[in-house]
Amino acid sequence: MDGDGIVRDYLARLEAAAWPLQPGRRAELADEVGEHIEAALVEAGRRDVATVRNVLERLGRPEEIVASEVESDAPPPTWSGVAPASTPRPSAWGPLEITSILLLTFGMFVVPFFGPILGLALAWASTRWTTREKLVATLLFIVIFGLPVLGLMAVTSGGSSPAPG
Amino acid sequence: MSDMVRGDTRNPLTELRRGVLEHCVLAVVSDGESYAFDIVRVLASAGELVTSEGTIYPLLSRLRRDQLVTTTWRESNAGPPRRYYRITEDGRRALDAFAVDWARFRDAVDALLAGGPGRGETGGR
Repeated sequence: MDGDGIVRDYLARLEAAAWPLQPGRRAELADEVGEHIEAALVEAGRRDVATVRNVLERLGRPEEIVASEVESDAPPPTWSGVAPASTPRPSAWGPLEITSILLLTFGMFVVPFFGPILGLALAWASTRWTTREKLVATLLFIVIFGLPVLGLMAVTSGGSSPAPG
Repeated sequence: MSDMVRGDTRNPLTELRRGVLEHCVLAVVSDGESYAFDIVRVLASAGELVTSEGTIYPLLSRLRRDQLVTTTWRESNAGPPRRYYRITEDGRRALDAFAVDWARFRDAVDALLAGGPGRGETGGR
């Protein structure tokens, strides 16, 4: 391949790598880089393969140029190299999490008190839930576990206080 | 799960370049109109600032979009019309502010590297 062929090949790679960019900007970037190569070759006064390769080496890989363009823009959602945060989170519901919720709610009626305690332990053992979700499970535990206890206390105190009168 | 965490060590020079290059471009175009190819050459010959000349073009595009530079097309006797860059008023304000920040930053780092006040003196008196 001669020098001009190498340049065409490079610009084709640049256009292909530039798919995340807006069509207008993609063409503009290719023009700018093409113009730069042309100016560098005019400056060098030669267009042989070695000179062309030297110019392109100084420019950097097409993918690198596009990456720096994408970096300076808001990253498009499908650009895997820049936006790892956009990968969907795996489901928060596995067997352990479902068992935990069942134990925290109906567990109270199946195995009083021990059911919700086991449910809470499972919630905090979960690898799918965030701390926030685990705190919600804890709140659920407090309500489920605490209400009967409070009710019991209210009944006992309510029953004993009028006794002296 | 832990294999997702790659040993992605960040090169401090790469980070620094990314942070300052934009203002270095502004400095280059602050004296008058410049052709993109010449801007790239000035930055590349300054050493340490640019590792791949091509990455300046995305930067110029952003500066245009942020209206820190303005461009004019001029006829060229060596091929198609060329785009010339010139700093705007906003660009000059950004550059002046950066010059002050940079001087402070540079002095602070230099002082620490040279073992300035507070280093090696504790308990000495």
